[in-house]
This record gives sequence, structure tokens and C-alpha cells, in this order.
Amino acid sequence: MIAEAIRTSKRAVIPYVTAGLPDLDATGEIIRALSDAGAAAIEIGIPFSDPMADGPVLQKASHLALQAGFTLDGLLPRVAKWSTGVRAPLIVMSYINPLMRRGMGETLVRLRDSGIQGVIIPDLPSDASGIHEICRSIGIDLIRLVAPTTPEERRREVVSQCSGFVYAVTVKGVTGARSNLPAEVRRQVQDIRSLTDLPVCTGFGVSTATQVEDMLSFADGVIVGSHLMGRVMESKTPVEESRKVLRMLMM
Amino acid sequence: MKGYFGEFGGRYVPETLLPALQELEDEFSAAWEDRGFRDEFSGCLRDYVGRPSPLTHARRLSEHLGIEVWLKREDLNHTGSHKINNAIGQILLARRMGKERIIAETGAGQHGVATATACALFGLTCAVYMGTRDIERQHMNVERMRLLGAEVVAVPTGTATLKDATSEAIRDWVTNVDTTYYLLGSAVGPHPYPTLVREFQRVIGEEARGQILEKTGSLPRAVIACVGGGSNAIGIFSGFMNDQVELIGVEAYGDANGRHGASIRFGIPGVLHGSRSHLLQDQNGQVLDTHSVAAGLDYPGVGPEHSFLSATRRARYELVDDRQALEAFRLLNRLEGIAPALESAHAIGFLRQYAPGHEGATVLVNLSGRGDKDLHTVLQEGL
Repeated sequence: MIAEAIRTSKRAVIPYVTAGLPDLDATGEIIRALSDAGAAAIEIGIPFSDPMADGPVLQKASHLALQAGFTLDGLLPRVAKWSTGVRAPLIVMSYINPLMRRGMGETLVRLRDSGIQGVIIPDLPSDASGIHEICRSIGIDLIRLVAPTTPEERRREVVSQCSGFVYAVTVKGVTGARSNLPAEVRRQVQDIRSLTDLPVCTGFGVSTATQVEDMLSFADGVIVGSHLMGRVMESKTPVEESRKVLRMLMM
Repeated sequence: MKGYFGEFGGRYVPETLLPALQELEDEFSAAWEDRGFRDEFSGCLRDYVGRPSPLTHARRLSEHLGIEVWLKREDLNHTGSHKINNAIGQILLARRMGKERIIAETGAGQHGVATATACALFGLTCAVYMGTRDIERQHMNVERMRLLGAEVVAVPTGTATLKDATSEAIRDWVTNVDTTYYLLGSAVGPHPYPTLVREFQRVIGEEARGQILEKTGSLPRAVIACVGGGSNAIGIFSGFMNDQVELIGVEAYGDANGRHGASIRFGIPGVLHGSRSHLLQDQNGQVLDTHSVAAGLDYPGVGPEHSFLSATRRARYELVDDRQALEAFRLLNRLEGIAPALESAHAIGFLRQYAPGHEGATVLVNLSGRGDKDLHTVLQEGL
């Protein structure tokens, strides 16, 4: 249960890991290391050729993983092993096209059957009620994003078709570390909270323990992606490095 | 469903952009109903762009092929292509919305030049995203944009062509959505862009229909246009949608190595850049590399309305490869004294396939742009 895992975590940090970088074996080891180091949940990023919501770091990670031969077909049998071996619930974050390629319903069932508990899709259609309905009926959480620009009426609709947690996007922009995060995010989280009992987690731009601390003073969890993947790509020992990064953020 | 053409189209974008797209849709609907806006738009097209563009009977080409070929001369517009129609329309919309910074993507550079021109005309800040590969092969247009005061932002990622320039423009827009207007150049992208671009390009088809009726006394047998994203094609098609006229889009069949840009013929429905349409993708849903000698056709997706017109069989989509397009470029120079853009040369190139079996038929071809920008490429190809 994703919501439960976040609620019971003392310091809910949700790391994002691009799958297949440098290869799928390493991804499995990184996921185990992150879970052991205390991650509340783990996002597995599906590489895509045209990641329009991502900044330079995750673009590069995606590109390298595809060059190294990543495929969803190669990933899912491994996920089935990982999901039974780690404590942290696993979430897939993917652009919509790779999920639609062989049918959205069929792919979501395959994800669920390999132990994936939730999906995040940054380019869902504006009317996502159909996908929400599929996720609800097969029992996988559809984690929706609420942006700083999202008006109240839309926020209600999004939150009503959301499960697992609500993903509050901290900034207008793409993924990637930022030294200053806008203060309005606190208000945004409060607004979302008034609409739901689901945990509310913030993401985009977070890279330091201080930022995590700050976010967790009003949010239930924090997602960290670019910062982690940047360090993983620079390191010769990516598994050790990811453990180190998470420990730093959890301090 | 609203914002869809059958099962194609829609709005598949980061949540941050949804309010801006709604605002754009509302503003466009209001503007399009507003007599003052329509007058301002048609005034600009007349007095600045030089519309109506002429319809030319290609006499020697007709004799050569055995069919009657009429050319809609969008190449004679200010800035040298049909792109200026849409750029002017959207700039007027951006002004109405109080936006002062304009961004755009460009492939061949024609849309970039048109956007930079419209920004110069109205004193707006302009940034144009362009793949580094396209910057190399369309260097003249890069210099033109800079002369017009635009910043040309090089995009080295991915295939370094129109696809990646578009992704980068979207990233800029998500980041600067409060201040910035995204002036999308083709009939692609999230709703309302495909509709809005078609409406601003509809003038091509409306003029052409009147002109050909006046000059020949009847409608043509076929209307032919090249299709990358598909804005010039949808513009001219829209004038003939309810007529008994064949609508033929010509896709880029690329080189001898099997790389091409023929999304409708070889693509599978998928989502790229905010809408669902035919997409060149592999079995894992990754977007494929494309190739065309014409930078403006070097794109793995296509406008959703073209996917719809193909699915409903109202239009059909044919193939012309690099070699045939270059041959058509040469032919139109020699026989008519017109250098077409390599994009438009694909539409001309299709006539060789069309002529057998249609002897004497009247066809209307959208000559969407001029080919000065392509001399460098054509000389390299050895013609």
C-alpha cells in the first residue's frame, strides 16, 4: 500500500530511478539499496525518446538507458522479482506513449502483475477518467499531479481521480534541481489537503536535505529524481552512490 | 469528444500547461467571433503578407505531364511561405492576451522566420528553438531570424531536428507559461492548436477555390499538398472539404536506406507533443528517427486532423522520396521558372505518379514555399 507506506514512514523520501541505467541489473541493486536505506516508496522511471516534462539530467538518463537497450518487456520480469524482495512499494513513472503501445489496459495489468503498485503519467489526457477507471478496477494506484497553475475546479477533479498519493508539483517547469523552491507550494499542499485524506507529496526541483526538511514540515513526502540520477550517472559505483544520496537526504 | 477529430487529437500535456491551453482556446473562440479581430487579421494578410496569393497555370509543366496543373503560390507571400498566415494570426492572438514574449519551434526555418518577422512587426521578444542539424542545413534562415531580432536557440538533443526543437519549446513554455505565448507552427500539438492553425491557414483553400472556379469554370479533380505536420495541406484542404474533390497529402518517403517521415502510411497511433495521431514508433513505443531531404517534413508525427481524414478516407496520403522531390525541384525551375521549397517539391513530385490514368485532369497543387533556402542542399545533392 503506497499511502500506508508514506504515512508510516518517519521521513518519507521517494527516490526516482531511471530504469536500465547503466543496465537493468544495476537498477535492481539500486532499488534494493534505496529500500534498505529507508525509501518510503520508489519510482521506477521508464525511459522515453521524447521526455518533454524532463530537464537535462533526466533527459540524459533516459537517452543513455535507451542506448543501453532498455525495453519494458525486459524490465517487467525483473520487477516481479524485485517487488517481492524489497520493502518499499514500487511505482512506475512513464510517459503515456510506451504504456499505450500495446494497449493501456493490457500494459497496466502487466505492471500490476509484476508487483507495481502505482503509476504516474506526466502526459495523461486532460480527461483521464477512462484511465482512472481502468486503474481502479484492476487495483493499481493512479497517482495524479497537481501543478502550481491548476485552478480549484480542476484540482477537485484531479484529486477525485487519484489514489496512492497526490503529487504536488513544486514549480512551473520541468524536472531538475533548483536552489530556490517557491514558497507558494506550502499553500498548494494545504489546498490539496482540504480536498482529500490521501498523503500529499511534493516533487520537482528538490536536491538537498534542507529542502527535504522544509518540504516535510507541511507535506507527507518528497520525491527526489534529477539530483539522484545526476549523482548516479557521475559515479563509478552507482549502487553505493544512490545509497549515500538517500542517506544524506534522510539525515 | 471536444478537442478530438474522431479518435485523434486531444490534450496530453503536463498538468501545468492545461490552464494555458484552456485560456488559449477561450481567447481564440472569442477572437474568431470578433469582427474587429477578423478585420485586423485579413488587413494584415492583405497589406503586409500580400494576399491573395496568385493562382498560376503551370503551362509547360502541364504539357510535359499531360494534366492541367495549377499552382497556389504561397511561395510569393512575404517571407516566402504559407507559415506567415499562421504566424500573423497567432501574434494577433498573443497581443490580445497581453503576452510579450513569443517562442516557436522550427524545422526548415520557414516558421521561425515567419514568427521572427511577426514579432519584429509588433515589437515582441522572440526565441526560436531549432535542432542543430537543421541549423546546419538551413543556415540562411538562421541568419534571417537573427537579423529580425530573434534569438535562435540551438537544440542538440535527440535527433537534433524539428521533433527535439518542439520538445524544447514545450519545456520553455512549461517554465515560462505566465509570460510566454507558444506560437506553434504546424497543425499538431495539443488542442486547440490543430484547429487554430487550420483556421489561420484556411485562407489558402478559400482563395484557391474561388480562383480556380473563376479561371477554369470548375473545381479541380484533385488538391495536392505536402504533409509534414500538415498545416499547408489542412489549409488548402479546408477550402474543398465538402466538394467532390480528391484530397491528396504527400508524405516524405526519405532516402534509399528506408528512413523517412511518412507517419500516416507507416505510423501507428500514438502520443507525441500533446496529441494522439499517427506516429513513427517502434514496438516499445519509442519514437523513431526520421529522415527527409526537406527539413520541414522530417518529423515522426502528423496533425491529428490528417490522421482523421485518412481514417475516414476523405483524404489519401501518398509517398514521394528525396530523389523524386529533388527531380521535381529541378523540373519546376526549368519548366516554370519557379524554385519550390523542397517540402513543396514533394507535392510537385507526386504529379508524375498521378498523371498516368488521369490525362487531361485539372489538379491544384499548394506551392507552400520558395526554395531559395534549399539551394545549398540541392547543390550538395548534385543537381
